[in-house]
Amino acid sequence: MHNSIFDREQILSLVHQAISDSPQIASLVKNYDKGELFFRQGQKIDHLYLMIDGEAMLEHERQNGSNLELVRVNNGHFAGLVAFTTGNLSLTTGIALKPSKVLCIKQADFVNNLGKYPTLQMPLQRLMLRNMADRFRTNVRLEAQMNSLNVELETESAQLKEAYKQLEDSHQRMVHQEKMATLGELVAGFAHEVNNPAAALLRSAEALKNNFISNDRSNPKIEMFQYGLETLPIGSNELRKKMAKITKKLDWATNRSQIRKLAQMPNQAIKLIEKNKKKIPVSEMIRQFEAGKFIHNIQVASERVANLVKSLKSYSRQDTNEWDMIDLRDGIKDTVLILTNRLKYMDLKLDLLDIPLTCGKMGELNQVWTNILVNACDVLEQGGKIRIKTRSHGEYKITVEISDNGPGIPPEIISRIFEPNFTTKNQGAKFGLGLGLAISNEIIRQHGGFIRCENREKRGARFLITLPVKSCEDTVEG
Amino acid sequence: MEKHIYILVVEDELEVMDALVNDLQSFENYFPIETANSSEEAKEVVEQIQAEGSELGLILCDHVLPGQNGVDFLVEQYSESIKTKTKKVLVTGQAGFEDTILALNNADLDHYIAKPWTKQELDSVVIKLLTDYVIEQKHNPMKYMAVLDAVRLADYMREHKLSDY
Repeated sequence: MHNSIFDREQILSLVHQAISDSPQIASLVKNYDKGELFFRQGQKIDHLYLMIDGEAMLEHERQNGSNLELVRVNNGHFAGLVAFTTGNLSLTTGIALKPSKVLCIKQADFVNNLGKYPTLQMPLQRLMLRNMADRFRTNVRLEAQMNSLNVELETESAQLKEAYKQLEDSHQRMVHQEKMATLGELVAGFAHEVNNPAAALLRSAEALKNNFISNDRSNPKIEMFQYGLETLPIGSNELRKKMAKITKKLDWATNRSQIRKLAQMPNQAIKLIEKNKKKIPVSEMIRQFEAGKFIHNIQVASERVANLVKSLKSYSRQDTNEWDMIDLRDGIKDTVLILTNRLKYMDLKLDLLDIPLTCGKMGELNQVWTNILVNACDVLEQGGKIRIKTRSHGEYKITVEISDNGPGIPPEIISRIFEPNFTTKNQGAKFGLGLGLAISNEIIRQHGGFIRCENREKRGARFLITLPVKSCEDTVEG
Repeated sequence: MEKHIYILVVEDELEVMDALVNDLQSFENYFPIETANSSEEAKEVVEQIQAEGSELGLILCDHVLPGQNGVDFLVEQYSESIKTKTKKVLVTGQAGFEDTILALNNADLDHYIAKPWTKQELDSVVIKLLTDYVIEQKHNPMKYMAVLDAVRLADYMREHKLSDY
């Protein structure tokens, strides 16, 4: 726009000319001292101010009380143009920054198109147009700036969200690891403490048994005791039938408790009682059988305790939760034992074919099996089918497949089940650890493998875990 | 057929069942014991008891059972009005807090015995609840003096002038 008819310097020289030509126009020029106000924010403006020589600024007072400089008013620039032309209250306060000469034109003079000052007409109109054009340009530039700022802000906010999510995830993992470490310590201590009484129980039952038996093997009482030891308990349905039979058949058995005890005996034992009825009281023979039975029960129960403790110990692998050459099947078997309580009424089949050893953390992998199995138990009815398969594929790949015949996973959530914090349960896993599939996913990933989940064609869900076969020298923790 | 007041024990582990029944045998001359290894079986037993015109005085029930669990079984029993008078005890090592609350609120659970139990604890709970049952159902208290809470039964008879029962 330089050298055009809108050049600010050129037009301003016309204004200067007009001022020096006409004392009437010269009288419109006011002198402002530095810091003197032209007008105040919020006031109505009845003059238009044109800077002839000097400098001013338009300042906006914000709601928080601080001031923001909006516009610098140099020679040839207007102040109060917007408020003046729109008739609105001023959005700014005009302040002289230097001693300034300012041409102040009353609103009334514009009514007749500056008819009073013909020499000012043309330059002022051009200057105003020039000013407006400048401001419009500024507006466009600001708009563009704001747009790109918005884009930047959005990007930053997305990055922040992502960072927050990662932080949350790693926090979850750390809490989980802490839980597992605590659990491992607890289990190790607990296992040690429980093993002692379990051993005492087992050995005492054995000793008690030998004490009875070694006396005299031809003694019918000892024989009864022996029957008690060897006879497996029968279910209550069968027991009821046998009790009814005995009530009919044996006239000497009248007392219900006695009948129940007789019903638990094998037929030879009952015959033995009848044979010796004259020499040995029935109650004495029954007592012998009961003694044997209860010692048997002690043995069975304490063996179960010892086995549970053993698998709990190897399951948590507090001592060896480090990279080690492991057989995945050992961990799967331990996990199944630990989950007996959940699995005992499921139709579980293990199809564990030979697989090579691979480098892994047994304790962590066991959590993966646990997690998938507990989820399956949660959705299965009694008698629901669970299948666990291990397979090797060539030299370098192992797969573990866990499938069930439950309701499957709703298609709308199947893609999200490995996300942290994703759960369909109201209050965490019943096993009490609240581990998510996200953690399983992370564990498998750290082992260099991957986990996949799909619905089976017929019914139920299938988790497929693929792990590489590798030695621990090749495994770098990451 | 002679009418009885039964005790029903529902427990799926046979060794545990053995131990429970053994601990309860002192009651058996007065309250015959029936056993069931699952809720389903327990329901059949309850039907049989009703069919012979007998009563079910007390259920001792484990929580973790094949099929329907113990709490759900008790809740279902309670919802059939005919059995509401039966005393109900949960004998378990495994019922969680919420299951227990459910049983308390919806099955009118009378007592909770944690495994492992002691003979003393089991005896006192069974004596208390069967004494309640005998009094509430207006059975002849004299008959049960030897095995239940004789003091409470005697008090009850005095208060209700039932000495000529």
